[in-house]
Amino acid sequence: MWMLSFVPDAVLYFVVIGIMFSGIALYALSFFTRFIPPLIPYSGIARILGTILLVGGIYFYGSYSTEMEWRSKVAELEAKVAIAEQQSTEANVKIQTVVKEKIKYVKETRVVIQEHIKTVEAKIDSICKVAPEAVDILNEAAATPGAKK
Amino acid sequence: MKNLLLALAILSLTGCAMFETPTPVKRNFPSVPNELMEACPDLKKTEPTEKLSEVLKVVVDNYGQYHECKIKVDTWVEWYNTQKNIFESVK
Repeated sequence: MWMLSFVPDAVLYFVVIGIMFSGIALYALSFFTRFIPPLIPYSGIARILGTILLVGGIYFYGSYSTEMEWRSKVAELEAKVAIAEQQSTEANVKIQTVVKEKIKYVKETRVVIQEHIKTVEAKIDSICKVAPEAVDILNEAAATPGAKK
Repeated sequence: MKNLLLALAILSLTGCAMFETPTPVKRNFPSVPNELMEACPDLKKTEPTEKLSEVLKVVVDNYGQYHECKIKVDTWVEWYNTQKNIFESVK
């Protein structure tokens, strides 16, 4: 049945309507065949065939309506997805711009602070002397937990 | 025969979903900004020194790294919430 999705709507519609009206026509014709002696033997067959075609036609028409409803839902959803993807891309651009600016600001601030340290370096080092244990403790704290040494 | 016709008529009137096949609409997973895909580096370690200024420089670098990682984590949360809202808006 999935192959039907490749059939254009108009073709499907004409086929379904064609089946339905063929059924009606054949059923109606079966009444007139009574008045035409050579066709009398075919009257019953025409009526049965007409009934089958009519019922089948109505069935297909119902299915066609369902199919059309599905197609419209799919089209609607595809449009929504396209809008969502566009929104997603726009949101990403916005997020990317903001994150770049924030990281740039952090890096710039770091440089400013490093420069500040350089200006007071001599003063700091003259007042304080760091014990080797302090450096070890600091490195221990900086080590990634669970990482191999 | 009448019952059969009646059953067929009822069946046809239900409009059986003969053509109804689930048609999945393809959705692409939203992309992530490159900045967020970079892993946070390990903290820097101080070389053995007696100078506090040297220690201070490493500490400042590590603080900077923390701030960068914080920005990334916060942005990940923001990215997730934004994309989730967009995803859920499609119904």
